[in-house]
Amino acid sequence: MGPGVRGYQAQNGAQNGRSSRSQPSRAGAENSSDLGRRHRPDYWLVILCLMMLVIGLIVVYAISPALSEAAGTSQTHYVTKQLIAIGLSIVAFIAMAKIPLSVIRQMYKPLLVLAGIATLIALLTPVNPLYPAHRWVRLGGFSFQSVELLKFAILIAAAGFLAERSRVGMLGDFKTTIKPLLIAVGVLIVIVAGPGKIYAQSDLGSTAVILAMMAIMAFVAGMPLKRLAAGAAILAIAVILAVVPSTYRRERVTAFLHPDQGCQQAAGYQACQALIAVGSGGLSGLGLGRSVQAYGYLPEAANDSIFAIYAEKFGFIGVTVLLGIMVAFFSRLKSIAERAPDAFSRLVVVGVLAWLSVQAVINIGAMIGLLPLKGITLPFISYGGTSVVFVAAAVGVVFQISYYTAIRVPRVSQGIRQADNTNNGGRVYDNSRDGRRQRGAYHPNPGSRSRA
Amino acid sequence: MFDEGRNAAQPITRVRIWYAVLICIMALFLVRLFYLQVIRYEHYKNSALSDQLKQYEIPSSRGRILAHSGPGNDGSSAGAIPIVLNQKLYLVYADPLYIKDAAKVASDVARITGGNASDYQKTLDAAMRVKGNRYAILVKKVSEDQKQKIVALKYPGLGTQQQEYRTYPQGAMAAQLLGFVNDAGKGSYGIEEALDTQLKGTPGELKAITDVHGVPLAASTGNTLKPAQSGKDVVLTVDLPMQKRLEQILADAAKTTKSESASAVIMDPNTGAIKAMANVPTYDPAKYYEVEDGSVFNNAAVSHPIEVGSSMKALTTAAALDDGVVTPATTYYDPSHWKVDGFNITNIEEDGGAGNRTIADILNLSLNTGAIWELMQMGGGGSINHKGRSVWYDYMVNHYGFGKPTGIEQGYEASGYVPGPDDNGAGIDLTYANTSFGQAMTATPVQMAAAMSAVVNGGTYYQPRLVDATVDASGKTTAEAPKVVRHGVVSTKVSQEIVPILQYVIDKHNVTPAFDQSRYSVGGKTGTAQIAKTGGGYLDNDFNGTYLGFVGGDTPQYVIAVFMTKPKNGGYAGTAAAQPVFVNIGHMLINNSYVKAKN
Repeated sequence: MGPGVRGYQAQNGAQNGRSSRSQPSRAGAENSSDLGRRHRPDYWLVILCLMMLVIGLIVVYAISPALSEAAGTSQTHYVTKQLIAIGLSIVAFIAMAKIPLSVIRQMYKPLLVLAGIATLIALLTPVNPLYPAHRWVRLGGFSFQSVELLKFAILIAAAGFLAERSRVGMLGDFKTTIKPLLIAVGVLIVIVAGPGKIYAQSDLGSTAVILAMMAIMAFVAGMPLKRLAAGAAILAIAVILAVVPSTYRRERVTAFLHPDQGCQQAAGYQACQALIAVGSGGLSGLGLGRSVQAYGYLPEAANDSIFAIYAEKFGFIGVTVLLGIMVAFFSRLKSIAERAPDAFSRLVVVGVLAWLSVQAVINIGAMIGLLPLKGITLPFISYGGTSVVFVAAAVGVVFQISYYTAIRVPRVSQGIRQADNTNNGGRVYDNSRDGRRQRGAYHPNPGSRSRA
Repeated sequence: MFDEGRNAAQPITRVRIWYAVLICIMALFLVRLFYLQVIRYEHYKNSALSDQLKQYEIPSSRGRILAHSGPGNDGSSAGAIPIVLNQKLYLVYADPLYIKDAAKVASDVARITGGNASDYQKTLDAAMRVKGNRYAILVKKVSEDQKQKIVALKYPGLGTQQQEYRTYPQGAMAAQLLGFVNDAGKGSYGIEEALDTQLKGTPGELKAITDVHGVPLAASTGNTLKPAQSGKDVVLTVDLPMQKRLEQILADAAKTTKSESASAVIMDPNTGAIKAMANVPTYDPAKYYEVEDGSVFNNAAVSHPIEVGSSMKALTTAAALDDGVVTPATTYYDPSHWKVDGFNITNIEEDGGAGNRTIADILNLSLNTGAIWELMQMGGGGSINHKGRSVWYDYMVNHYGFGKPTGIEQGYEASGYVPGPDDNGAGIDLTYANTSFGQAMTATPVQMAAAMSAVVNGGTYYQPRLVDATVDASGKTTAEAPKVVRHGVVSTKVSQEIVPILQYVIDKHNVTPAFDQSRYSVGGKTGTAQIAKTGGGYLDNDFNGTYLGFVGGDTPQYVIAVFMTKPKNGGYAGTAAAQPVFVNIGHMLINNSYVKAKN
């Protein structure tokens, strides 16, 4: 926690009597040696991530001939690059799993500064005409999508900020909570959604993901619903203001509303070809090496459109399996969030859940014609190093959190009768011992029964 | 935090709310996917195929056109020289949907081709404005080297297509006889049009799932391929050096006589083979697209019939001889004018007035009244009557082949015109009187040459032809045999009688240089034809000059027809403009050993 927020906290603590009530428990949660009960981490989290990475890699490998033909690279170019990215991801994952959570929480400031600098560099870098919506920072032979770093930085910063505001009970306060958040959102919209007059396309997709992530985190943190509703209304107006003056966006919206005309129009072409790819996959798919749409028909076959290519190759059966894996992964995140030892770690997990699920929903929704195209990747599956590395970093943090379960004192007022209802047959958790020796503690799920 | 009573429960509940929303969205997605992939599968499968499955015509390689290389190579294709070949070049096209930066594409392509970038950009901009347009031709005739450089640019939406273009190693020679191949790959005019199917071959067919640029995918199954069959090579009957010399003679003559146009045909009377055929003006088939007046594409020697004038009298006389109504020894009284249907028909001033005339005089003095007298004899004598008209009509149409195409392998061959013996009631006798000396009917040089060939070769009408042999892709040669259309056009006796008369005529005309009739037999007949005005009547000051003759040894070996349109060099057009051309052609043939002298 940075000194600035501490300052707020001290001020509020002095001014607001409510915050003093939470002071003792906060001290306990903040101390990493006292992060709830430690046990075996959630290995399923890692297994599900790896499954999705492997699926993505297989699809990228299978369409490599098409990609390399279009780009004039060697056949192994894409798979090699993606393998390197996965290697870096493992490093990022381990680092984030090992660096103490309290340290990560403090890192939000340098992360934000770094993300800000990268975003500004990307703003100044000439836009690649082929990918106008993607902003890249090029460092030597590597290109880097600054917005992925920004997502990670905002995740940590927002979790810290909201946890702190929640702790002091000031979540609904306009001056100290809402206003800073609105300023952050404003800055974000300006630099990421971008001035449309300067750039052919601004990164609306990533903006939407970040805003949704912040909104869901605020929602889970306990933000009063009235405040959230007001924020959503302001955002809706902003979206309308952004769409109406831009011919490009208007075309996209029109194309979305009239998908039948799509294939003959530049604006609706990708959406139309995506539908054709998905639909022509049928029940069981064309087969791994049989995708045709990847051969130039469907733009961004390895990146934004990879879900449609997957659906073409593996059919309805294949997408059912993939959505199943995703839901399983999201349910792990939900469980970890529920038993997270403190507000910050819970909000980090919720933020990761929101980030990845919103991104997946926007991406898949566009591919199946339910949402307008936004030009964002499908987490784990899409080709693209930066995305994979930062998603892995985020999952690394979650993995670290999954080592711990909050210690709950059974309270009659909440209807929590932990000893009677938990799966472990009423065993009392022992936070001084390793979870590996307590298999029953692996799935502690007191929350689900807390409303009983 | 969790032990904070009311506040503690809320966050966990709210996580579940989002998770529940997420599960609902995923369930909705699954329903939507089921709809797209299972219920609407057929629709999307068909949409995919309509984009992905492409049917291609694999162009077949067009056959070459060859011609003979000179005397001594007659009848065999071994010594043939190509006059039309193919060159593989490329066409560069753009798919406007994929062109992002038209200016850059245009300038980069222009840098490689040396073309004009702003032209390319205009093409691209225009194509990009048309909704749904997926194909715009940017440049044509790009070399292999340039094509590879353009492909190396790797611009999405830029493609190349191989195309075959005709090249002409002999330049513009025989242009109208050959014709050209248009942009769509179709033969136009001349041999290219007449033999388009044989030259073109059979295009192959490829049905394949392709990438977006139309390149078939190796991985897809069910591609069907029917390979293309190359077109046949065509070996012409044309003798290339003779053709070259004929074109030179004709071009020079058109210049010195200030003729509007000129055509000449050299034909082998014993096979129907056209040895040379030329027109002035002409064009360069390699640059056919630069031609402004499309009429120059026509091979006038087969497609431009005119009233031939007095050269027709050679054929009228042969008909009268064959009909048995006159003999070479016949003499008759010529009144120097006939009144037919109220019109007074006279001769040219130098006819010597009324008097006794021989058959040879009719041709030598070019007596219109003599030709009319012959027509009267065909009807029994005294006047032009139905019988005479019918007999003469039968000769013109059925014996000499006028009024219908000869069937020579050329595009746009004209039929010419012969009036029927019972046409237009009153005035038909006058019309027929005119036909006896080559007016009021029209014919092309090739029709005249073919008819004359039958008259001098013993009476066999061979179809005039330009194709000597065809060679298929496997190298198998099929020789074209002479095609007899009619035996007994005139009897052998008449044929032998008319030849010396025509030799006599040319001798009497004192052509220079003279022909040595002791070694060669050379004969012919001039024609100075009046030119019909549109709306009736004839032009006062313009005439066409024609000549119809033969060159040979013991027998005629070449029949030559010469048409000179509106010469302006003074004198009678037949004598002053056409006859010298015939004389030059005759000497050209003799001097270049094309003629076998008498034994």
